[in-house]
Amino acid sequence: MAAIDASTVSKRYQTEIALNGVDFTVEEGETFGFLGPNGAGKSTFINMLLDFAKPTDGTVSIFGHDCQQAGVAARERIGVLPEGYSVFNRLTGRQHIEYAIRSKEADDDPIEVLNRVGIRDDADRKASDYSKGMAQRLVLGMALVGEPDLLILDEPSTGLDPNGAAQMREILREENERGATVFFSSHILEQVEAVCDRVGILQDGELVAIDTIGGLRSSLGGETKLVITVSKLVDGTLDAIRAVDGVETAVTAGDQTIEVTCINDAKMDILIELRSLDVEVVNFRTDEASLEDMFIEYTGA
Amino acid sequence: MTWQTIAKRDIDLTFGARSGKLLLGLTVLSILLAGYIYPVIGTKPITTARFGGFVTGWLTTLLPFVGVLLGYGAVVNERESGALRLSLSLPNSRLDVLLGKFCSRAGLLTAAVLVSLSGAGALVVYPFGELVISRFLAFTLLTVLFGTVWCGLGLATSLIVATRRRALVLSFGLVFVFVVVWDAIKTALRVGLNAAGIVDGALPGPAQFLLGLEPGHVFQRVVSGLVTGGGMADGPWYLNEWVAFALLMLWSVGPLGLAYVAFARSDVS
Repeated sequence: MAAIDASTVSKRYQTEIALNGVDFTVEEGETFGFLGPNGAGKSTFINMLLDFAKPTDGTVSIFGHDCQQAGVAARERIGVLPEGYSVFNRLTGRQHIEYAIRSKEADDDPIEVLNRVGIRDDADRKASDYSKGMAQRLVLGMALVGEPDLLILDEPSTGLDPNGAAQMREILREENERGATVFFSSHILEQVEAVCDRVGILQDGELVAIDTIGGLRSSLGGETKLVITVSKLVDGTLDAIRAVDGVETAVTAGDQTIEVTCINDAKMDILIELRSLDVEVVNFRTDEASLEDMFIEYTGA
Repeated sequence: MTWQTIAKRDIDLTFGARSGKLLLGLTVLSILLAGYIYPVIGTKPITTARFGGFVTGWLTTLLPFVGVLLGYGAVVNERESGALRLSLSLPNSRLDVLLGKFCSRAGLLTAAVLVSLSGAGALVVYPFGELVISRFLAFTLLTVLFGTVWCGLGLATSLIVATRRRALVLSFGLVFVFVVVWDAIKTALRVGLNAAGIVDGALPGPAQFLLGLEPGHVFQRVVSGLVTGGGMADGPWYLNEWVAFALLMLWSVGPLGLAYVAFARSDVS
């Protein structure tokens, strides 16, 4: 059964279309990154999963439970880190976790949960005194209560320092290994690239791409750019490289640098060819199309 | 159903807050004060049944304010801050939120009414008064119901607007219309219609019924019919105390029900 199933779901407000016929599924066990520029409709979609907002057309379901008709059942086995939340005034961190435990009818130990998200020492402080990053950790802790089958996180690294963001990624990885499906939205691409099996790119309320990162890469040409620095260029080097299987272009960039675009498998062949020509390779690096490049390509930003 | 969890958390928070304690404390104190004063200035015989009649007018002013103040922020505060999003991302339904908040706030007011009326009852009985237990129990239950009505009205405004400010304005608007100016409207209408020669003396039954729909009037009709006795013996059937009792019940759930429908349909974002 699909963890998340969106079937031609649209959301219209009076003057704008926030989502337009978005249609995809997130399979059980995968880590799915939901990408898009600000205002693309990512949060609108997540709001509908949580029944904060209702779709104008279409349906969304979680593990087969319609998010609007059976919202409580849909939310029973999930952990959520929503956007635009605030913690409860006058409740401590521990009381927040206890509230989640009782609401989910789970039996976690609040201190263990707080320890896992790194705010154990602040368990008995009022959560309203927490920094943004600590609040984010606290709500992640609430999401982790009860070993959920699906984690839904809206911009999870908001307010976290690089260290915190790395811990967040680590926790998401652990949860995924435990068997949980992870669905999160982000506009920070390295994070998505680091943990996601598949990504969907949303723009102006429409899903413009959905694939693995490798798949997106190959659908955009799938080329690797190789930048090689040699001790000195000799005549015929470029021709020799161009003759290697899989090489598309080879050009010089300055006295000692050659830029080659080729398929990934040709990289070693090029280096071997250079060696056989007695050209000393001082340095080389590859420029893969980054997710950022692909993102810009897709969204035309 | 997880409304108990929400109710428990809300009771801790409301009673833990200084404003909550103050509000409930003042309610208890002022009702106790009425119990102290009544045997001193009331006409004989001093009984707990007649105490109901004595204190009703005061309660119809006090409980609307207290009830509305307890209720109006219950949901909208969390909605405005965003804490409601945390509650609703857990397996809680919006009905759980409503039930939890209602049981918590109306429950606290009920506790305050029960404590203070038992105390006031004791003050009336000792040393000169007479205990009429069944009527006093009925009066206590009716008072609880009346408090619940106003707490529910406050909570209803909390459910249908998006900001605390609007909820405050709306609920105090209700108090103003129903408690402060309603009697003036009633009097003005009677005087006006009399002057115009349309009616002679009291307003006709249907008009009395309409003007008597206000919760405080309904409450007073039930109390005078069931507790203090007499008062509204004559008149058409729809002005009797049992109809009034049904109206009071309706006031306690009707506005909340309508507000819930709007709340369940609205977007929380």
